[in-house]
Formats: sequence, C-alpha cells, structure tokens
Amino acid sequence: MPLKRKQIVEALYNIAGKDHVVTDEQILKESSVDRFRRFEAYHGVYSLPMPAAVVYVKNTHDVAAVIKFANENRVNVVPRTGHSATEGGLETALENSIVLDGSGMNQILAIDTYNMQATVQCGASLQELDDRLREQGYTTGHSPQSKPLAQLGGLVATRSIGQFSTLYGGIEDMVVGLEAVFPDGGITRIKNVPRRAAGPDIRHVIIGNEGTLCFITEITVKIYKYFPENNQFLGYTLDNMKTGFEILREVMVNGYRPSVARLYDPEDGAYHFSHFAEDRCVLIFVAEGVKPIADATATAIEDIVDRHDECVKVDPKLIEKWFAHLNWDPANLAAEKVEIMETKNVCNTTEISANWGIINDIYEVCMQRVRNEIPDLTLLGGHSSHSYLNGTNLYFVYFYNVVDCKPEEELTKYHLAIKKIIVEETIKAGGSMCHHHGVGKHRTHWIQKEYGSSYYILKKLKSAFDPNNIMNMGTIIPLEK
Amino acid sequence: MNILVCFIAAPDLDKLIEEDWVIDKDLQIDTSFLKPTLNSYDESAIEIALRLSDASQKTKVSINHKALTIASTPATTILKTLNALRFKQVVRIDSQDDFRFRPGAIAYILSQYVLKHATQDVLFLGRQSTVGENAKTHLLVAERLGWPCITQVSGIEVIDENHLVVTSQVDDGQIRQKIQTPCVLCIGEVPNTFMRVPTIKDRMLYGKRPIEILSTTDFQLPDETEELLDLKVISHERHGIFIEGETPEQKARELYKMYLKERLEKI
Ligand SMILES: Cc1cc2nc3c(=O)[nH]c(=O)nc-3n(C[C@H](O)[C@H](O)[C@H](O)COP(=O)(O)OP(=O)(O)OC[C@H]3O[C@@H](n4cnc5c(N)ncnc54)[C@H](O)[C@@H]3O)c2cc1C
Repeated sequence: MPLKRKQIVEALYNIAGKDHVVTDEQILKESSVDRFRRFEAYHGVYSLPMPAAVVYVKNTHDVAAVIKFANENRVNVVPRTGHSATEGGLETALENSIVLDGSGMNQILAIDTYNMQATVQCGASLQELDDRLREQGYTTGHSPQSKPLAQLGGLVATRSIGQFSTLYGGIEDMVVGLEAVFPDGGITRIKNVPRRAAGPDIRHVIIGNEGTLCFITEITVKIYKYFPENNQFLGYTLDNMKTGFEILREVMVNGYRPSVARLYDPEDGAYHFSHFAEDRCVLIFVAEGVKPIADATATAIEDIVDRHDECVKVDPKLIEKWFAHLNWDPANLAAEKVEIMETKNVCNTTEISANWGIINDIYEVCMQRVRNEIPDLTLLGGHSSHSYLNGTNLYFVYFYNVVDCKPEEELTKYHLAIKKIIVEETIKAGGSMCHHHGVGKHRTHWIQKEYGSSYYILKKLKSAFDPNNIMNMGTIIPLEK
Repeated sequence: MNILVCFIAAPDLDKLIEEDWVIDKDLQIDTSFLKPTLNSYDESAIEIALRLSDASQKTKVSINHKALTIASTPATTILKTLNALRFKQVVRIDSQDDFRFRPGAIAYILSQYVLKHATQDVLFLGRQSTVGENAKTHLLVAERLGWPCITQVSGIEVIDENHLVVTSQVDDGQIRQKIQTPCVLCIGEVPNTFMRVPTIKDRMLYGKRPIEILSTTDFQLPDETEELLDLKVISHERHGIFIEGETPEQKARELYKMYLKERLEKI
C-alpha cells in the first residue's frame, strides 16, 4: 500500500524538522514543474501529479535519511537545486513525490589554489563560486547562460556546459571528485585525484544522472588561472552556415582552443546582431589564457578565417560588449514572463550534437522541416556554440505565437512537435539528441534509439542502483505504464 | 482614418554595462556597439495602432496606418518588422544630423511631412525617447500643425471617421474625452501593449516590402529651430549606508535599531 501524503509529510518532519518541510499548495504546484511547462504555469495550469512536500535539506545526513525513507516506502524522490531545468527533469511524474531540495546546502567548503581545485556543497551557486574565484585571480571556466540561476548539484547532474567550453570543456571535464547519496541511503565519496586507471571512471555514473540514480551532495571542480586582460575577441559575418562549420572544424582540427567558438545562422543572428549582421551568419571567437597563448590562438584563427573570402571582419567591440548580457538572472525570468503573457510569443530550444560530416545536413533538414510543418513561428534559427575535435553542437532556437490553443496544449502543438522533428532527424543522421540540457522527461521516448545496443548499460545502471524505482521516475528512462 | 505613428529606434541603453557609461567631452556616450531598440512608449503606440486596425471590421472605420521615423542609422530590422506587421506604409526620413536634443527640428520635419507629403488625421507619438528625453516633440508638432494634443494617452477607441474617445492620465486620475480629428496623441504608460511579434511567414510575405526613404534635406529646416549649445549633468546621487550583518535577521535588527526605532516611538 503506498503511503498517504500525511504519512510522508510526518516522516519528513521527523527527519528534517518542520521548518524545513513545505506543503504550501502554491509551492507544491510550482515544484511539480520546471521551465519546460512555464507557459502552463504562467496561466496557473498545473496538470501533473502533486508532490507531497518539498524538503529543504541541511546536510548529507538529512539527504541520506530522506532517501532511505523513500526507498523503504517506495516514494518517488525528485532531487532539485537551482530549479533552472529546461527539459522536465523536475516534473513530479508520480503522485506524492518528495521534492528533495539541496539549495540550502550552499557552502563553498574549500578553495585550494595550490592543487587547483574547489569543493562546494550541491546548492552552491555557480555565480558565487566563480565570483569568489575571480576575486583571487581564478575561475571555474564554467559559464552556462544560467550561471546566476543554477547550482553545482544540478549543473553536474545535467552534464551542463558553458560558453567557454571549447577551452575548459563541459562540467564532466571539470569535476574531480564527488559525494553522493544512493537510494539505499549509503553515502559515497569519490576522491580528488588528477587521474586514475583503477577500473572504469565511476564519476560518470553520477555526472549526468539527472537525479535518477543518486543525490549529489558535494562536488570538487578544477579551477583555472584567470587572465581576462588577455582576452581577444574576434567577429565575422559570412554568407553560409556550411562555410562557418568548415571554419570551426579547421580551428579545432588544427589544435587551437579558443574559449568561445560560436556560429549563428541569419535568423538567430538577427536576434542578437541585427545592428551589424543583417541577413548574414555570424562567427565569433574568444581567445584567452596567458598572453602568448591568447595572442597565438587569435592570430591563427584570423589566418584561418582570412582564407574564406565570404567572411567580413567586424569591430571586436561589438562582440566583447555582447557577452555582457548573455546570462540570465531572476530579473530576466520575471521580464520574460511578463512579455510572454502579453505577446503569447514563446521561445524554446532544442540542442543536439553531431560529427562534422553530418552537422550541416542536420541543420538544413531540421530548418526546412520545422519551417514547413509548424505553424505560427516567429523565429526559427540555430547556432553552434560548443565545438570539439570531431564535431560540434547545434542549438535550435524557436519562437512562436501561441494561437488558438489552451495553455496546456501549447507544448504538443509547438515545442514538442518541433523537438520531435529535430530529435528524429538527428538520431536518423547519427548524431546525439541531447547536447547539454539533459534528457529530462520529454526526450525519453527516443532514449532507446539514442543509445542503440548500449541502452543495456543504462538500464542496468538504473536497476542496480535504484532497484525500487524511487529516483526521479520518468527522467532519462521512460515511465513504464 | 489616417494614423501616422512616429517612432524612434535608439541604442538599447539597458545593454550598456556600467564601465561603458563614459561621458566624453561633448557629453556623449559611445553607443555604437549597441543594438537599436524601441522604447516602451513607441512600442505601445505601434501596438495601439495595430489594434485599432484589427478592430476596423467592428467599428466599420477603415484604418490606414503608417509608421515613420527620422533616423541616421538604418534600423532596418525594426522597419522590416513594422512592414511584416502590415503597416500600410513604413517611412524613414534619413538624416545625417544629430537630432537627439532638437525636438523643435523633429517637430518641424514631422509637421512638414503631414502638410506636404501625406495628409493625416491622427499622429501618435511616444511620450519620450531614451536618448534626448526631451518629452516635448508631440507638443511642438501639435503647435506647428495647430492641432489639439492630448498627453499621457492610455487608451483610444475609434467612434467614426472623425471622432475618437481618448483616455489619458492626469495628475490625480484618468479622463475620457471624445475628440474630433485631426489631433496629436502622445502615448504614455499603457499596460498590456507590448508590440506583437510577426510570424516568419508574414516577414517573408510583407517584411521585404519597400520602405519609403526621404531625407531631412527634403524639408529645408528654417534657421529658427533650436541649436544645442551645452549640456550639463545633474547629479542625482544620494548618500547611502551599507548595513553590515551576518544574517538578514541581524541586518533587519540593525536597521530597526539605527533608523526605525526612534521614529516609530514618536508616532
Ligand atoms: C535561462 C537558462 C539558460 C540556460 N543555459 C544553459 C547553458 O548555457 N548550459 C547548460 O548546460 N544548461 C543551461 N540551462 C539549463 C540549466 O540551467 C542546467 O540544466 C543546470 O545544470 C541546472 O542546474 P540547477 O541547479 O538549476 O538544477 P535543477 O534545475 O534544480 O535540476 C536539474 C536536474 O538535475 C537534477 N538534480 C538537481 N540537483 C541534483 C542533485 N543534487 N543530485 C542529483 N540530481 C540533481 C534534477 O532532478 C533535474 O533533473 C539553462 C537554463 C535556463 C533557464
């Protein structure tokens, strides 16, 4: 017999204290969704099962006690930190879930500038950590657009990536060690060493688990020396995405590591750069690091771009100043809500990755299909913002006017219909359907196709670590009806 | 009814970071790297004009809405957007002069446009631009045309070909007036009038329609319009104190002790 809501709440009171357990109806409603369903939420429509409570944990032992209780009583647990998830990872798929909120575990525990690593609790704000580091001449190198919103636990759990990834990598390249609580209530620590060959790299069981295997309580990340005074900004306009992908590829395969390498198509570019790139693609690079490296990187990139006649260089100041407003803070979220409610014009995104050989084809077929098949679009564009030796990502951005449908129909009519096209075309071509937002709950439909025969490993991980199916059910792996 | 919406696309000063607020010797700030944008009053003016056009089937008064700007930068994206929103005509009066602090000159050009180029029944102007912030262009245009002007307009209904009901804010309330055209309406704060977003299809169908380009030289400015001689910055800085404390509770207690307790006791 499943526990009743009252029993769950009572148990949480006993574990975490009454002050740390919230059962207010509005908070529960807001905790049943994330950004994926924001249009519905703006309209006060909450169609998912309601959680029993949100529990704000103070330490790892509280986390362990809550999870142990949930495991023993088969209660679904949805881990949460910054609440900035975009793919439904925070949706409570089952009635009377426990939302396990680690945002109060927000301490920066150590900054070790000799061994070049920093240790934080899961609820530490990335913005605060990076600000603290920069004051001392260091940086995490991690700068997702949600830097002012997201916290380290969630950033690790989603395999997030930041704007400077081409130099610093994604979060998986930054994490040194971790502490996490698994469903049996066991606390696991992975030690902080530079590298080891002692079996598989078990950090990757935790990184990217999206709350489906364990709750991350503590994280140690690498830190880097920070030399903003050496930053060199480069910007170009050009005719074709294809040329842009070629240039990105040349930069990467020749071993250059700009921190930023971004390519915008004309539509997405117009949203940001209409004042200097009317109907043109835009290519952006930032070279950083110690001066000789930053200078050499910038010079080499300029040489590569110069070989492509269609590229026209723009004033670097246009690029440098643009970065200042790229990140989103709570004020942006509030302003977005007002604007959406007034205009019914909604923006959503889907991010994928693929090898150089197929990326342009994916771009073209997705653009064509979405444009032809989806109504009421007001913007459809894409950019590549994270490049690798063997390929790059594509971040499709689309705005649409919500016309003739109820708030709860918006997703099916627009966002999911677009996502479906992009995901299916990407998988068909051989790319990955998720580059950095995670699978959440709305790409699970394609997870077997995404993994192919390696789906076996994923399923085994879930059944081994979460045999009672209590961790964020419906995320990554679809709910079985 | 012919409605002319006069607007200005100005650099998006919200995107200027603190370190770039550097005022040069001519009291100018370098905004060359900022994207042009519409201020909220102009956005409201545009949206209201579009809504009046939407309502024309009901009111049986056909609306012929035009949009006009006097601009040194092309701001093409904004003009194309207005085309895509199906303004009947979009006009740019190209200028190489700096008109930011010359509302008289702008008023002269606008009135000449109405008198010589295209007769209008109603002019909509946003209350104030983010650059210059003169907040008097509408009054000067009305004066030149000899038309009545209502300021702080927050609502407009079309009654018939020659009459509007206009709601506007006054110091201590709102007034609704039935007025006869022609008139100048200065659009103030109007809730719920974000400018709508055209679809891609409309942008492709209508966005590329030609923009009528005129030049300020077509309007030979008389010598008596004003000339900017000097600007002075008024400092609005206020004295501030940071309240120190480990926790919000401690800070609140400190605030109470230092600043509120004595005052509250006097009440
Ligand atoms: C405006 C905006 C911009 C964004 N830009 C980027 C970007 O540039 N790059 C990028 O990668 N992402 C971006 N995102 C997505 C989002 O910020 C990231 O996914 C981020 O990593 C989520 O962190 P969070 O602390 O907010 O996690 P939450 O939203 O709280 O949770 C995210 C997921 O992680 C799980 N989780 C959270 N905490 C834990 C934990 N302690 N243990 C186990 N699982 C946990 C949750 O169950 C959920 O599935 C953006 C989001 C927004 C709203």
